[in-house]
Amino acid sequence: MDFVIEGIDYTSVIQKALVLLSCVALSWKMIIYMCNLLNIEQDPIRVLITGAAGNIGYAIAPMIARGMMLGPDQPMILHLLDIEPTSRSLEALKMELQDSAFPLLKGVIATTNVVEACKDVNIAIMIGGYPRMAGMERKDVMSKNVVIYKAQASALENYASEDCKVLVVANPANTNALILKEFAPSIPEENITCLTRLDHNRALAQLADKLSVPVSSVKNVIVWGNHSSTQYPDSNHVTVSTQAGDRPIKELVTDQNWLKNEFIAEVQQRGAAVLRARRQSSALSAASAACDHIRDWFLGTPKGTWVSMGVCSDGSYGIPPGLVYSFPVICEKGSWKIVQGLSIDEFSREKMDDSARELAEEKDLAYSCLNA
Amino acid sequence: MAKEPVRVLVTGAAGQIGYALVPMIARGIMLGADQPVILHMLDIPPAAEALNGVKMELIDAAFPLLKGVVATTDAVEGCTGVNVAVMVGGFPRKEGMERKDVMSKNVSIYKSQAAALEKHAAPNCKVLVVANPANTNALILKEFAPSIPEKNITCLTRLDHNRALGQVSERLSVPVSDVKNVIIWGNHSSTQYPDVNHATVKTSSGEKPVRELVKNDEWLNGEFISTVQQRGAAIIKARKLSSALSAASSACDHIRDWVVGTPEGTFVSMGVYSDGSYNVPSGLIYSFPVTCRNGEWTIVQGLPIDEVSRKKMDLTAEELKEEKDLAYSCLS
Repeated sequence: MDFVIEGIDYTSVIQKALVLLSCVALSWKMIIYMCNLLNIEQDPIRVLITGAAGNIGYAIAPMIARGMMLGPDQPMILHLLDIEPTSRSLEALKMELQDSAFPLLKGVIATTNVVEACKDVNIAIMIGGYPRMAGMERKDVMSKNVVIYKAQASALENYASEDCKVLVVANPANTNALILKEFAPSIPEENITCLTRLDHNRALAQLADKLSVPVSSVKNVIVWGNHSSTQYPDSNHVTVSTQAGDRPIKELVTDQNWLKNEFIAEVQQRGAAVLRARRQSSALSAASAACDHIRDWFLGTPKGTWVSMGVCSDGSYGIPPGLVYSFPVICEKGSWKIVQGLSIDEFSREKMDDSARELAEEKDLAYSCLNA
Repeated sequence: MAKEPVRVLVTGAAGQIGYALVPMIARGIMLGADQPVILHMLDIPPAAEALNGVKMELIDAAFPLLKGVVATTDAVEGCTGVNVAVMVGGFPRKEGMERKDVMSKNVSIYKSQAAALEKHAAPNCKVLVVANPANTNALILKEFAPSIPEKNITCLTRLDHNRALGQVSERLSVPVSDVKNVIIWGNHSSTQYPDVNHATVKTSSGEKPVRELVKNDEWLNGEFISTVQQRGAAIIKARKLSSALSAASSACDHIRDWVVGTPEGTFVSMGVYSDGSYNVPSGLIYSFPVTCRNGEWTIVQGLPIDEVSRKKMDLTAEELKEEKDLAYSCLS
């Protein structure tokens, strides 16, 4: 049927309009892309760093400001928190961040006030904690730290943004994270994690060194358990990219004994080795691993790759729920998911259980300190 | 198709600027996100263990772009095949030391580094001197490495440049990325001249001169200049250590802009070998406004220089001439 009214061929107009609309619909993606090219900037994300005046804080702040944690297009505002005695160093860090003229850094709040620090933050990197000093017993370190993390829990719960993602770095990382979770019940437990990515990266590096391949060719190591000497670096599912495609590591590393002994010991003791050489604990590599942890959580893990994160156990792999335990995870759309169905041999089972036992003990110790 | 790795030397790598700088290089901040690198870290024998500790941490960070780490106390091994050399190592000024003492220690270090670089670095190696006295160390390096093209020897004033941008952005409460084209003239010392006469700020109605927006010439000619000049000392006062993070970051900016090029319409400050531009005596390493393209820097010509600026630019040139004489007297 033709619509022709007063000599104007409306059919033709409608047809042309439909064609035009289809073209626009089909090229919508291109139009969006071109609009993005006009550099319409994203809203800044607020990132809190506690213990910011220390060495790890000093290393991580410029990494975040350069986009290594959130991607090269994501602006941020840094919230730097530390205790009163460090306020001058904290101020100096703020000055240096200003002096660096970072394009992505839209603001710096340097404060010793925990409420101001936690206000509206979307990401919280908890580096601050009581360091172990010579002569201190484990109970003493635990006791100091659980008090700190209980207090930080309230502050985060009351003031941070609802979707805040938390990464606990300060040791004892798993148990500090657990305390944080227990005393901030309104923070979704999947948003509270601890750092084992450093151990994961160290494990990849040891394997790459053994095989004389670039570290980017090695993937899918797992660090199970506690970020302590009972951590279990598991190479059973590692693959190495070669000219003949991805090969399981067992095909390439003939020395099974090395994988079950020296490799594990190297990774477990690496922190101590760095401490001996530098006379200071790892800062650069810890900061870098923290950036990797958040970046993968935020932006997603590459296809076919998993990473290690200390997360609230849901009972997977026979690990008691109610612990913060390091598992292999993939990340997508801002959420992590434990990789299921990996085969666990007897050797691994024992080590995984050892670490879980230690975490249960730490949990009891933590609670006894809080009730004391 | 992955690019061939670029070899980057950092001297004084076991120190705090080195520790801040190496992860930045390994993450692609200095040369770009797709440029693999091999790091050469050089320091003196007493720092060998600490240097090894840094190497361990670099390996532990599993950086995809980092294709190798050479940690050494041997200058030849350190310099072999390097395409970029960031000279952070030097004798630090200690309490009670006279300027002549610091100068004397550093000129002998830079004379011997010159020889090592000249013989072993890759052809067309780009050199950035950070260690103070930066301009004069760079000059000594140049004088004793005659086969290194003089345009390849520079010193860091990007830190002062970035500090100046930071001060203007704070004053105007605008993002620092909206401010550009400040100039640092002269020596990386307290006689440096931070010049905003050609600086602009991006506004909703286009680029506007900084002077017009700040509306406070007294501040721009007084406090602003002294704040930038003395910022290093202010950081030391607050941290009890000199700037490391910001120095490292600025070193990355300096090299990146040199190698990759400056954005259209933007110039940056680099300490370079003077060719007599703006009546600055040639034969000095002096900080100028430059643009960079195709791996080369070019001094921005034709900027009008008012009387106040002229005086300040001459003052800092004077100081550099004195430093040069002092350096030579130490060497003789």
